[in-house]
Amino acid sequence: MLQVLLTGLSTGAIYGLVAMGFAVVFYVTRVINFATGQLLMVAIMITAGLSTLHWHAYVSIPIGLVASVVGGVLIYFVAVRPVLRFNRLSFAWLVSSLGVAIILESGAALIWGTSSLSFPQLLNGNDVRIFGAALTWQQITTIILAIAVTAAFEVFRTKTLFGKLGMAISADPDIASAMGANVTGYAVLAFALGGLLAGVAGILVGPISFANPYLGDTFGIYGFVALMIGGIERPAASMGGGLLLGVLSTVASTYINPLASDWFPFVVVIAVLLLTPNGVFMSGRALRRSLSRVVRSTTRATPRPTL
Amino acid sequence: MSTALLARPRAARARGALWVGILAAYVLSTVALAHSSSYHQGLLLVAAVFAILALSLDLVAGATGLYSLGHAGLFAIGAYGTTILQANYGWSVFLALPVVVVAVGLVGIVIGALSLRVSGLYFAITTLIFTIIVNVLLSNLSITGGYQGLASPSFPSFPHALERFGSPLVWAVSGCLLLTVTVVWSIRSSALYPVLLAIRDSEPFASSAGVRTAATRVLIFGLSAALAGLAGWTFSFLGFITPGQFNSTASINILVMVILGGMNTRLGPICGAVFVSLFPVVVTINPLWQEILFGAIFIFVIVFFPEGFVGVVARAARRVERLVTDRRDERRIALEPAADVVRHSQATGRVVDPPDLALELDPPGAPVGKALPAPSTGPALEARGISFGYAGGVEVLRNVDLVVSPGTIHGLIGPNGSGKSTLVNLLSGQLAAQAGTISVMGQRAEHLRAWQRAELGLMRTFQTAVMVQELSAQDNVAIGLFSQFRRIGSRSLAWPMIPSARRDSRKMAVAAAEALRHLGLDQSWARARVADIPHGVEQLTQLAAACVSRPSILILDEPLAGLSAGEVGQVAAILRELKASGVTIIVVEHQTRFIFDVCDKVTVLAAGELVKTGSAVEVRGDDRVREVYLGQ
Repeated sequence: MLQVLLTGLSTGAIYGLVAMGFAVVFYVTRVINFATGQLLMVAIMITAGLSTLHWHAYVSIPIGLVASVVGGVLIYFVAVRPVLRFNRLSFAWLVSSLGVAIILESGAALIWGTSSLSFPQLLNGNDVRIFGAALTWQQITTIILAIAVTAAFEVFRTKTLFGKLGMAISADPDIASAMGANVTGYAVLAFALGGLLAGVAGILVGPISFANPYLGDTFGIYGFVALMIGGIERPAASMGGGLLLGVLSTVASTYINPLASDWFPFVVVIAVLLLTPNGVFMSGRALRRSLSRVVRSTTRATPRPTL
Repeated sequence: MSTALLARPRAARARGALWVGILAAYVLSTVALAHSSSYHQGLLLVAAVFAILALSLDLVAGATGLYSLGHAGLFAIGAYGTTILQANYGWSVFLALPVVVVAVGLVGIVIGALSLRVSGLYFAITTLIFTIIVNVLLSNLSITGGYQGLASPSFPSFPHALERFGSPLVWAVSGCLLLTVTVVWSIRSSALYPVLLAIRDSEPFASSAGVRTAATRVLIFGLSAALAGLAGWTFSFLGFITPGQFNSTASINILVMVILGGMNTRLGPICGAVFVSLFPVVVTINPLWQEILFGAIFIFVIVFFPEGFVGVVARAARRVERLVTDRRDERRIALEPAADVVRHSQATGRVVDPPDLALELDPPGAPVGKALPAPSTGPALEARGISFGYAGGVEVLRNVDLVVSPGTIHGLIGPNGSGKSTLVNLLSGQLAAQAGTISVMGQRAEHLRAWQRAELGLMRTFQTAVMVQELSAQDNVAIGLFSQFRRIGSRSLAWPMIPSARRDSRKMAVAAAEALRHLGLDQSWARARVADIPHGVEQLTQLAAACVSRPSILILDEPLAGLSAGEVGQVAAILRELKASGVTIIVVEHQTRFIFDVCDKVTVLAAGELVKTGSAVEVRGDDRVREVYLGQ
C-alpha cells in the first residue's frame, strides 16, 4: 500500500513538474505552451546525446537544462509574442506552439533517430527501504524536489514583491504595465521557468524512461491532464494534480490491470471536468462562494415587511 | 430603395444562373474523377473528406467562436461506427449513414451542453480532452482493433445500369461534400448568420434581441458534429483506419486547415483542407523534414497571415473597393459640400419620417410588431422589492421599486455606482434578482430569461454598444428582428432555397434600413461595417436595433454617451416620437437636462436605494435628490 503510494508520488511528481511548466506560463501570459512536453524531451535528448559522446553527466545535464530553458524563451519570441501582438484573447498561440512542438519532435528524430538512447543512471541504482517500501534514491529525490520547487514557487509568488507583481500581470497585464511592470520581462521569465521545470522533470525521469524523441508527446499529454485535474489557474494546484494523477495511475495498474494506467487518468479527468470545471484544487474558493450564496439566500428568506 | 427592389429579380436571376453553372461544373468534375485513376481518386477523396471536416469546424470556430479540438474525436466515432456496424453487425453502409450522423450529432450536443458552462479556452481544452479520450479508447478496446485499427468496409458498387457513372464511392463522397457545402453556405447566407456572430462577439446583445444563445450554441455544435460524423462515414471507405489518424494532432490539423484557408469565409476551409491534405503528396521529401516544414508553415501563417489565404484576398479586395468609393465620394463632396453624411444626419434634426413607414411593408398580421398590446390598466413594467448583490460582494440594490406607466418616458438617474445599470440588467433579464418581482405588460417575468423577455416586447440598448464589427450596420440592426420571425434556425439549413426565407431576408433588410433611416442614418451608413463607423453612429445603430422590432417597452442605458449636441437633440425627438406611437421607454442617463426635458417621470437611485420617484418638477425640487445627485 505504502509502496503504491510512494511509487505513485514519484511518478506523479514528474507529471506535476510538467504541469507546473504549463501552469507557470499560463499564469503570467494566459498561453498554454503546447511544446512543454517537447522541452522535456529536448533536455533528455541533449543530455543523452552528450552522454553517448562520453561527456560526464555533471556536464551534460546542465547543458540539457540550459537547452530546455533557451527553448522556452525561443518559443516565446518566435511563436507566442508575434501572435499575442494582435489579440491577447485569441488562440493563435495554440497553433503556433504546436508548430514548434512538431518541429522539435521531428528535428530530434532527424538528429538522434527514432530508437531509444540510454540515459545516465544517476541515483537510479541503489534501493532504499522505507517502512517496507522499496524506492530508489532517484524516486525519493524526485518527490522531495517536486515538493520543494512547489513550496519555493508559492512563497516566491505570494511573499515577495517580485512575485506579487507577477500576480498583478496575471490579473491584468495592461494595468500592470501602466503601473510600470515589465510585462515582457515577466513573460520571458515565465517561459524560461516553464522550460526549466520541464527540463528538470526530464532529467528526473530520464533514467527510467530512457531517451526518445517521442517522449515529449507522452509526457506533454500526461502533464496537460495533470494540469486539468489540478486546475489551470494556480501553479501549485497543478502539482497537486500531478501527484494525484500519479497515485491514481499506479493504483490503477496495480489493482485493476497493468494497462489500466493508459485509460484511468482520462476517466479521472472527465469526472473532474464534470464535477469541478476549474480543477480539484481550485474548487475551494468556488465552494465557499456558493456556500455563502446559500447562506445569503436563507437569510433573505426571512420575512420582510411587505409594501 | 425602390429601384433596388425593382432591380432585384434580374440580379436574382443572374445569380441563380451562376449557381446552376457552378453546380454543373461540380457534377462534371465528379464525373471526370469517377472515371480517373484510383491514385487520383484516393488523393482527391481524402481532400474532399477533410474539406467536409474543415467546413464543419469553421461553422463552430469561425461563426460561433467555439474553437473545438474535439472534431478528430467526432470524426473517429463516425469512421469507426460505420466500420463496426458494417463488419460486426452486417449493416448496409447506407443504413449506417443516418445512424452514424445522428449519433455523432447527439454526442456533439451532449459535449456542447456539458461544456457550455466553460467557454473560450476551456471549451477548446474540454474538447481536446474528448479527442484524447476517444483516442485512448480506440487504442485499447478490442472491438476497435487496438493500435492496428480496422480494415475499411467495401463500398457497394453501382447496379449494372449505372455502371457507366464510374466509381460509386466518388459519387458518394462528392454528394456528401455538396450536402455539407449547401448546409454551411446556406447558414452563412441566412438570417441566422448575423445572429451567430452576435452570440460570438456580444452575447448580451444577442440575448436581448430574443436569441436563446446557449441553446443555439449547443445546436450549432451538434450540427457541426453531425457533419464531422458524415466526414467519418466517407473516410471509413478510404482505407485502413487506425487511432493515429484521429489523435489530438489531427484535431489541430483540422483547425490549421481552417486558419490557413481563412477562418469564417466560404472558400477558406476548402482551400485549407486541399492544401494540407495534398501537401505531403506534392512535397515528397524525407517525412521528418516534411513534418518540420509543416510545423514551420503553421507558425509562419499564424504569425504573418492570421486571416488565412481567403482572408488576405478579401481584405485586399475591400481595400481596393474602398479606394474606389473614396475617390467617388471625394468627387461628390467637391461638387456638393453639404453632402457630408454626418452633418447631413445631424442637421436633419427633423424627425425623419412618419412612424408608420415600416408598416407599409407589413401585410396585416405580419410578424413585425407581434408584441403584446399594452394592458388598458396597470403599469407596462412593474418591479417591486428588487434586491441584488454580486456573488461574494456587497449588495448593489436594496428593496427598489420601479413602476412605469404605459406610453410614458421614465428616467432613471443617480450617481455612479448607484445601481442603475444593474437594475436595467435585472429588468431585461441579463441578471436574476435575489428578491423581488418583475412584471412586463402585466405578465410575471422575474423568472424569464432575457430572450423570453424580448419576446414579450421588451428591448434594450447597452451602455457601451458592442455589436458585430465585421457586419454592416444594417445587418446588425436586423439582428434586432430575430424574435419577430419564426423558425429562422430550422430554415437556415436551406435558407436561399426557401422562398419564404428569401422573402423574410428581404423584409428584414428593408425594415432594418428603414429603422436606420428613421434615426437619420442614410444608405451609406447602413452599408458600412460597424468596425468602420464612428462611435455616435454606432450608438444610433444600437438604438435602431432595439427599435426595429417595434417593442412595447424600450430600455436605454445611457443612449447619449459619446453623442454630439446635435445627435442628442435628435435622440430626444426620436424618443418623443416613439412615445407618441405608444412605446414605453425607460432611459438611464447622466445628462439631467435631457432627462428632465423628455421624461414624464424620473426615479432617482443612490447607493442601491430608491431616493425618489416623481415628475421632473418634483424630483428637481426634492432636497434629498439635490443632496445625493444634483448638487445644490
